[in-house]
Amino acid sequence: MSLRVGTLLAAPVTAFLLALCVAPLLILFAYSFFRVDFVAISYDPSFANYAKIAGSATYRGLILKAFGSGALVVAITAVIGYPVAWFLAKRAGAMKSALLTLLLVPLYSGDLVRVFAWRVLLGAEGVINRSLIWAGVTDAPIQGLLFSPLATHIALTYNYLPFMVIGLWLAFESLDDAWLEAAADLGARSPSRFARVTLPLTFPGLVAGGLMVFVMVVGDYLTPQLLGGASGITVISAINDLFGTAFDWPLGSAIAWTMLAILMAFFAVGAMLIRRSSLVGGS
Amino acid sequence: MTEAGSGPTGGQGQTMPLLRARALCKTYGTVQAVRGVNFRLDENSYVTLLGPSGCGKTSILRMIGGFEEVSEGMLELDGKKINDVSASARPINTVFQSYALFPHLSVLENVGFGLRYKGLSRKEEREKARAALETVQMTAMADRRPRQLSGGQQQRVALARAIANEPRLLLLDEPLSALDRRMRKDMQIELKDLQRRLKMTFLHVTHDQEEAFALSDWIIVMRDGIIEQQGAPDTIYRRPETAYVADFIGGAACVPGKITDTAIGAYEIETPLGQFATPGVRGLKAGSPAVLCLRPEQLFLDPQGRISARVTHAVYRGAEWLVEAEAAGITLALTVGHDDVPEIGAEIRIGFDPAQVWIARTEAEQATGAKP
Repeated sequence: MSLRVGTLLAAPVTAFLLALCVAPLLILFAYSFFRVDFVAISYDPSFANYAKIAGSATYRGLILKAFGSGALVVAITAVIGYPVAWFLAKRAGAMKSALLTLLLVPLYSGDLVRVFAWRVLLGAEGVINRSLIWAGVTDAPIQGLLFSPLATHIALTYNYLPFMVIGLWLAFESLDDAWLEAAADLGARSPSRFARVTLPLTFPGLVAGGLMVFVMVVGDYLTPQLLGGASGITVISAINDLFGTAFDWPLGSAIAWTMLAILMAFFAVGAMLIRRSSLVGGS
Repeated sequence: MTEAGSGPTGGQGQTMPLLRARALCKTYGTVQAVRGVNFRLDENSYVTLLGPSGCGKTSILRMIGGFEEVSEGMLELDGKKINDVSASARPINTVFQSYALFPHLSVLENVGFGLRYKGLSRKEEREKARAALETVQMTAMADRRPRQLSGGQQQRVALARAIANEPRLLLLDEPLSALDRRMRKDMQIELKDLQRRLKMTFLHVTHDQEEAFALSDWIIVMRDGIIEQQGAPDTIYRRPETAYVADFIGGAACVPGKITDTAIGAYEIETPLGQFATPGVRGLKAGSPAVLCLRPEQLFLDPQGRISARVTHAVYRGAEWLVEAEAAGITLALTVGHDDVPEIGAEIRIGFDPAQVWIARTEAEQATGAKP
């Protein structure tokens, strides 16, 4: 009885999700097997687009670059996120909710605003260069700060750090201090305690936060475009160009689906890692 | 107070103590959890810190383990100050109240956790861990995860993990509190047996006086951050120094009175129940307030008894009845055989052997306790 009511209540949501989320993806999937004939799409299915991606050094390079960026930003946010999450869960006390809100404030400000804020900071006439010249550290502004991979990755790290911190913070909340005391009691010094107790027991949070950051970095279009300069060409901007000026929807769809398939593989591995770790799942 | 010391015989230790606490204090903000305690732990002894929750016993244990900083005073292990030695560097291991077994490691890996820091080969590590599991009869569970074990099994693994490192001192923080009564009794016997076999010193924190009596060579009774009394179980039970100890251990009725004479061998005390000559704690002077401690098993129905009382309650306890009676505004409890239970409201006369009862102080003599 209650099962049937539950199914009934969930039905609209399920229908909504299918229509708005899965259906467009399926349409894209179908398009990825077609090809363009001058200005019309020829509905003649083949694997030609996927073969083209596999054979093109440019597309392979762009895809690799996207996942490389994702991995790099995940690593940086993890290193910054661990102490922050630990502090929030174990030391912040009454300030916890205030600090958590503060952590999320940048997310409310909008992508463009944040990107332009970084331009103001990193530009040739920007705050950092001006300060350095004023302090006499350099005579001329450092040109490489803005419009470089450095600028892109600084901004990406800033943008997505909160997601890593939230994931790790949740993991730290369920980390019993008694485990760390027991490890110390048994002779483990601080680095050993981190490696043998903290890391394995917060691992599900690291995987969850890491996957979120990874997906969002790989899919970020604005940040590299506006801060990366010549390096701002990404696989996402390539897809954008294919759907826009180049009018090659099938190839764009094929690249999008290649990315999606690889991301889903990452998710599957992540889910498996979380299930295998002791905090989640039964035995 | 009696000389502080502990040992299998319950006497005063002649050799250098394993651990010595001198004027030990712990302060949390403005709260004084431990207020200057002195005690010593001898080699190869089982010592209990006994007291109600909030008396500071766990704070003492955590300071010895190295999880809390010593606010004032000194902790010495083998004659060396260990106040500033980190927990990981102390040859002391702990069985935590929550067991704190690592959920991501197997039972064997849990037990072998600390052996990694002993400079052993992996093979030796495993062998030592197995041997420790063997001492608590848990080898069959070696490959399980902690959450696949029952509470009693987890408790054994926690014990194996703590003794695998062969510490100088084993700390046990209310280790049996999560077990049911039957299992608790079994584990008490096993703990005592284990201590005898390993010849290790165990310091056990509990609020359960039966547990303290079952296990200990030496009991330290605590209250509000100070030591009320410490001694062999028999001394604590038969010669309580304060009204608090007499009441907390064995539920004696403490009749307030005043010492009138301190003749050799006994005191004379004037109480609302009459004047009695009985032995008592050393150092009481004529005119000082004191309490006469009357335990339920020391009182009996006696037509010629000197105390006249009225029965208020009678509780069946299986082996006998516990009868509560009121005399001169004081509630006395006495154990009575099945055939002699008086009616509620009946007037009875109660007797006791003055040589068997005891006079204690109303309050602890000094906040700092005995000088060890």
